Amino acid sequence: MAERIQDIYLSNKSTKKEWMAFLKKRGIKNFAESETKLIEQTIGLFDDQDRLVATGSIANNVIKYVAVCDIVAQNKGARFNKIISEIESRLAQLNKFHYFVFTKPKYQTSFEYIGFKTLAATEFGVILEKGTPNIDDYLAGIPRFDAGNKIASIVMNANPFTNGHRYLVEKAAKENDYVYVFVVKQDASLFKTAERLELVKEGTADLENVAVINGGDYMVSFVSFPAYFIKNTDKIIKYQTLLDARIFRTQIIKPLGITSRYLGNEPLSHTTNLYNEALQKEMGAEIDVVIVDRLEVDKEVVSATKVREAIAEGDVNKCLKYIPSTTAAYITANLDRLQLRIKKGQRIDGN
Amino acid sequence: MEIKKTAIAGTLESSDVQIMLSTGSNGFEFDLESDVAKQFGDQIKETITKVLEMYNVKNAKIKVVDKGALDLVIKARAIAAVQRALDIVDAPKWEVLK
Repeated sequence: MAERIQDIYLSNKSTKKEWMAFLKKRGIKNFAESETKLIEQTIGLFDDQDRLVATGSIANNVIKYVAVCDIVAQNKGARFNKIISEIESRLAQLNKFHYFVFTKPKYQTSFEYIGFKTLAATEFGVILEKGTPNIDDYLAGIPRFDAGNKIASIVMNANPFTNGHRYLVEKAAKENDYVYVFVVKQDASLFKTAERLELVKEGTADLENVAVINGGDYMVSFVSFPAYFIKNTDKIIKYQTLLDARIFRTQIIKPLGITSRYLGNEPLSHTTNLYNEALQKEMGAEIDVVIVDRLEVDKEVVSATKVREAIAEGDVNKCLKYIPSTTAAYITANLDRLQLRIKKGQRIDGN
Repeated sequence: MEIKKTAIAGTLESSDVQIMLSTGSNGFEFDLESDVAKQFGDQIKETITKVLEMYNVKNAKIKVVDKGALDLVIKARAIAAVQRALDIVDAPKWEVLK
């Protein structure tokens, strides 16, 4: 019995239908456009009667939509290993040697058995990684402070860095011996990752006990959102925030000796509220979770959204009161480029 | 020789081994996953170490997922991985391969 691996082209409607039916039967039900459009390659394993018996997909550095039918197989797990082998060799051809998989708790051991390492496991789902550079390499590249110090941490997107961010960092720097500022790596914002990182560095250069670090793949930054096996929105948010909080708690806190995490209060955003709640619940017992009220200027909350709106309108003066001089200088010098990005469809109302 | 880029060889199928090599700075750093690690872990590492030494590699991170591969399979996969990692696939070291 010869089983072959073939590409599955989802642009073909009947092929896609067959593929979806196979996955649905195995409990994967989310085929939202926002999820499926990220897929770059899909492969299938077909048995000698040309029936689909296993499938898997690649979306950037995430392995997705993996399902296997093992009912008549001789060796349990053989098809699964075959599919993942093929996916890994295709990732290697794309020069990707570090990848993630989001899956249900019951498949955790299957992936661990082929060399994946669990980053975080919750009752809703598990995230695993394989390859290099992995979390150990990431942590090895971060400067360390001596144990016994009070070490605060802040995670921010800083799109762009405002006086509000500055206020939060300053407060943490005053109340602690050292502060790690992790800048979200995901490149989905108006300001590119390198720009955001640079502006945070410039904006905090005078604070000697602050280290600005790229958040890597491990903080609020999953290339794609692993929502495809979760049914509704609130569940999705809870799932994401819990996983994020758990990775931070189990992988980041101890190696870096972090003793507190500072969060900005967000009275208007449901998602951020849920996130803050999850962080507090997840690590409140281990470290101090400090929620800081947002900075106000002229009775108005400082927010990066307002800065982006001012950029879209081309009226930088309108937002000068919200941003430090370093950010202002960058925006003034690059206004055309930023506006072009907005014209090309970059959303500015999100994060 | 220094490892130029991360490379992978082999599969996760039964009787095979998957070897991933990447740049290291601290000798050979092994990360081995195998059902028979207890019985044959040292032997698997030794086979791979020998291949790396033949290619004069001094430092490497080596991730191995073994599915019960025989020694000659491990050697073949290690050779493939190291040639890819050193970017000499087009010009194999014949004196090593003989």
